[in-house]
Amino acid sequence: MLHIKCPYCGLRSQKEFSYGGDANVKRPKLNAEVTDKEWDDFVYMRKSPKGHHLELWHHTSGCRQWIKVKRDTITHEIYQTAKIEEQIS
Amino acid sequence: MTLLSPLSDIHEIGIYGNIENKTESNLLEISEETLKSIYQITKFKNSDSSLTNLSIRDLQISNNPMIVKSNLKTRILWTGPNQWLIISDDKILEDELKIFDSNNFAVTDLSHTRAIINIKGENSLEVLKKGCPYNFNNLKKNMSINSVYHSIAVTIDFIEENPYAMRIMCLRSFGESLYHSITDACLEYGYKAI
Repeated sequence: MLHIKCPYCGLRSQKEFSYGGDANVKRPKLNAEVTDKEWDDFVYMRKSPKGHHLELWHHTSGCRQWIKVKRDTITHEIYQTAKIEEQIS
Repeated sequence: MTLLSPLSDIHEIGIYGNIENKTESNLLEISEETLKSIYQITKFKNSDSSLTNLSIRDLQISNNPMIVKSNLKTRILWTGPNQWLIISDDKILEDELKIFDSNNFAVTDLSHTRAIINIKGENSLEVLKKGCPYNFNNLKKNMSINSVYHSIAVTIDFIEENPYAMRIMCLRSFGESLYHSITDACLEYGYKAI
């Protein structure tokens, strides 16, 4: 089982969290002209990196905040977590 | 209107579980708490209102994670950034809640929406450890956590240390399942339902 350090509540079990997807995906700007390809990329296309991956997690059964998590997709080691508005290196 | 408590169908007074060679004072005590006033206070994301000088019943509202501010009748639990749960033995009057102005705060009456189980006794922590993944070595008196107990989302409030006394809250509709989980975990130590 993974343990994820919530920036608000401290170290918690993965059972309290929900995975929220790739944190690198950026939604196209509101009301901007978007091609079908750009929209398709935003909705469907995801990278599946081997190694470090920046992810969004939601502390569903805790403080109910979205957080950023840098995780290794091979070892599942978690390198860093941050609040949603914070940058992660 | 008749008021039915969330656990009225299953909480039966008696002594259960492994009670051999134990006196009543050594048993865990399980009780249901009813008639609590519960209010959820949330500060809006776009609010720049300060929390200093914001207090209710002489208890200061603060953003210290997991810290509970309390006096004899009222406890204020931190449940997330800019979110608190006020739990009180008596009715909190509308006038008292006016300090949370509607431009900056949302106040929601959650009384009767929660099942509340009180557990008291030296093995209380062991009972919680059986179903909750939190490291209870980090939890001290007057702290509270949101976590899960057998996958049911719960709020655990650490009320007293000697002997341990905890208040476990979950959504009313999950109350009976949580009660079964808690009492099953208590059987090993023997418990008194009061």
